[in-house]
Amino acid sequence: MAAVAGAVPVPVPVPVPVPGAEAAGPGEEAAGAGPPGPARLARLPLARVKALVKADPDVSLASQEAVFVLARATELFVETIAKDAYVYAQQGKRKTLQRKDLDNAIEAIDEFAFLEGTLD
Amino acid sequence: MAERPEDLNLPNAVITRIIKEALPDGVNISKEARSAISRAASVFVLYATSCANNFAMKGKRKTLNASDVLSAMEEMEFQRFVAPLKESLEVYRREQKGKKEARKDKDKKADSEEQDKSREEENDDDDERMEEEEQNDEEEVDN
Repeated sequence: MAAVAGAVPVPVPVPVPVPGAEAAGPGEEAAGAGPPGPARLARLPLARVKALVKADPDVSLASQEAVFVLARATELFVETIAKDAYVYAQQGKRKTLQRKDLDNAIEAIDEFAFLEGTLD
Repeated sequence: MAERPEDLNLPNAVITRIIKEALPDGVNISKEARSAISRAASVFVLYATSCANNFAMKGKRKTLNASDVLSAMEEMEFQRFVAPLKESLEVYRREQKGKKEARKDKDKKADSEEQDKSREEENDDDDERMEEEEQNDEEEVDN
């Protein structure tokens, strides 16, 4: 085994990757279109979520991961509350979700109790 | 610019898209309902942050981390979010790692070409924490 002591600079022109060409290696998932479903990347802009986090005077720092998980959780929350409210629209034989459907869902579902009185 | 926390809204277009994708085709949503859900989402973030912060403080940490947020979800009775959130976090971590390694590779190539060791690698910690110059860099709010 040839042991090369020290790095010898080889004057071979190394092709420099073009900046902007993101999908380099094979098997690498395209960062843009993530897989649909639970494992997709956040759609809510992290900067806006971060602004909300910073609004809490008791919070000093939040990791980037924490902001990401909050963003994803908020998306799941929006999906959940929309679906739960829709049940009431269906009961009213409507195809348009209305504010009252939301109010009904908040009143009926325990997990949404924290929203009471905050939406007006 | 003293903004009340509840006034910090998330972008309408994104909220609307999430709602539409959650509901069956052909279902519409009134402007009032959409706006109320958007507001609810902001309240959700504030509440979850506060909850997560309690866990961080219990752990004597000043930085909220991902597991604090997951603990907050359980506390808020949104346990069913925890599994999909963990999956998303895995994907996110892999992506971040890929980005870092791509950057390191660029730095390595540049270093071997220039033989310039004086340029230091970026501090990785900066990526994991958001930069906070001061604790409260917003103007003082009278609570």
